[in-house]
Amino acid sequence: MRLALALCLTALPAFADVQRAIETHILPGHTALAQATDELASDAAENCAPDAVRPAFHAAYDAWISISHIQFGPIEDQALNLQMHFWPDPKDSTGKALARLTAAQDPIVDNPGAWGEVSAAAQGFTALERLLYEPQTDTDYACRLTQVVATGLADKSAAILADWPAFATLMTTARANDNTRFQSEDEARRALYTALSTGLEFLHDQRLGRPLGTFDRPRPRRAEARRSERSQRHIELSLAALEDLATTMIDSDLTGTRAAFAKARELAASLNDPALAGVSDPIRRIRVEALQRTVRDIQNAVNTEIGKPLGITAGFNSLDGD
Amino acid sequence: MPSRRAFLAGLTSASLTPTLGWADVGNPIALSAALRPDGQHVLVGLTAAGAITFEIPLPARGHAAAAHPDVAEAVAIARRPGTFAKVIDCARGAVIQTLHAPQGRHFYGHGAFSSDGTLLFTPENNIATGQGWIGVWDRSAGYKRLDSFTSAGIGPHEILRLPNGLLAVANGGIRTHPSTGRDKLNLDTMRPNLVLFDASGQLTDFAELPADLHQNSLRHIAAARDNTVVCGFQWQGDPFDAPPLVALYTGDGTLSQAQMDDTALFGLDGYIGSVSAFGNDHYAASAPRGNTTFVFDAAGAQTGAVRATDVCGLCAAPQDTCVVTDGTGRVHWLRDNTLTQIATHPLAFDNHLVALTYT
Repeated sequence: MRLALALCLTALPAFADVQRAIETHILPGHTALAQATDELASDAAENCAPDAVRPAFHAAYDAWISISHIQFGPIEDQALNLQMHFWPDPKDSTGKALARLTAAQDPIVDNPGAWGEVSAAAQGFTALERLLYEPQTDTDYACRLTQVVATGLADKSAAILADWPAFATLMTTARANDNTRFQSEDEARRALYTALSTGLEFLHDQRLGRPLGTFDRPRPRRAEARRSERSQRHIELSLAALEDLATTMIDSDLTGTRAAFAKARELAASLNDPALAGVSDPIRRIRVEALQRTVRDIQNAVNTEIGKPLGITAGFNSLDGD
Repeated sequence: MPSRRAFLAGLTSASLTPTLGWADVGNPIALSAALRPDGQHVLVGLTAAGAITFEIPLPARGHAAAAHPDVAEAVAIARRPGTFAKVIDCARGAVIQTLHAPQGRHFYGHGAFSSDGTLLFTPENNIATGQGWIGVWDRSAGYKRLDSFTSAGIGPHEILRLPNGLLAVANGGIRTHPSTGRDKLNLDTMRPNLVLFDASGQLTDFAELPADLHQNSLRHIAAARDNTVVCGFQWQGDPFDAPPLVALYTGDGTLSQAQMDDTALFGLDGYIGSVSAFGNDHYAASAPRGNTTFVFDAAGAQTGAVRATDVCGLCAAPQDTCVVTDGTGRVHWLRDNTLTQIATHPLAFDNHLVALTYT
């Protein structure tokens, strides 16, 4: 699949930057996700005990967080984003959906083909995390849930990957007569830039902002994937993934962007706070706040060094707030 | 574009009083504020086909405008907490008068004319008390300030003339003070509402959401031919805990919430930018922070969702179509739950399309 796509792309008069981002960032990311979720599904099918599934869960979740900022293309067309990962979830839709299925002993868990019809909140990594890291009273049903969630994640990841070659062609042939999806090179670049800027905003506002809350009211239980103590890891993974996208999508030194990413990665790696519980501790909280400010520095640098050269004035309406 | 100049060049007399109608300025269906690449803010007229019929410089960023029902005249009102409004002759492309909010008041970016076009109404904040007011201006007397009446709420944002002649006012409920910019000062106690007035300022109806949704700020409204008012909200609580952000008012003192599930609400930042009633009992609501526009049927059930970057402006057009604009300069048709790009302009279209006619 990978080889065929590469051949297909080089035959086209494509735009180097968009093509490079697809070939070296997006496709490897989705390939890794498809492989890791496939192994997750196999492992769960073989032995659904939480201890047995956790290693593959971590590997697959890593792969997801490393590509989850690409929210356009096949994942958007197939409306699979929330089904892969339902977070933030202040209404506890995930807990409620799992409880509903369990209480009803819904046999849909034995039918992977129909599984996509249940609540999106029950289908993604946050649902699997509950099943693997929270005590289960009905272990038999939890086992079947674990298996169907894992299989569903593999099915979805495979479906997304399968559609990428055709979408990649659309992105690199903007202005072709039959291309109604991308009518200019700028639109393809804008899609990449939106993924980058939205990913950084999500990191700042949600992954860091939600647990931070306010000084008077920190919210450690709002940290992403706190049950599996992956909160800090998600921050590190998303920083690495977003830096890779930033440096891939444009031919330029990106001095300020690279410096800000380097500082943020250093701060994130030294947090030593896997579930971000430290947001409640006035001293340890300072480090999380410093990291959040550095992410803001990245956002500003990316705007200056990538957005402006590409002529992208994002958010005239979305940033207005009126 | 050249038609206006050609037409004006042929005028024999240069009367200072504009008498040309909207048809004389290229038949726009809507007005929109916009930003040019050179940084100049403008007010433009937009046709149903996505063409721009005129482009008039504004002294600062616009928001919405009040369009005269007959004469090609618009009042571009400063965005909050601005205090000026520019009366624009859209035929000559000139600002012909500047209105100033009375001492101690500021505007909210919206306004509306009475059905006969003689009165202009402007939502205003009494800065000292935070109470909302509706300013009344007499166009026939050179926009003389006549009076003002209470908006029956805090933060009156959009005012709208309904086909039946009544005025609908969206009181957003949020108190702000120019000394603290757009900081929201009363989120714990805010209580937004929709109020109906007759042209004399007499309150005729009042509607609000249940008390537990008091943080759902009513901001933008649009009217259907049957006088149903579609309401767009901006949720002030946790954006991932948002209730439905659209409601319908059908004249019985209640707001009925549209049906939007959690999946639809995810990623919108609790924010609806504009609403429109179009076609045969359809409603649209744009979510610029979610790059999505939603379509609802007459009962408020969501029937579609289409995506466009930085989408915001919405306006009903003929043939069951809603014209949609975005911050990247694109004009689209929304029809049968499908979005089709019909034009691109070197402009960032601002929040709202101000409808010139009821279709």
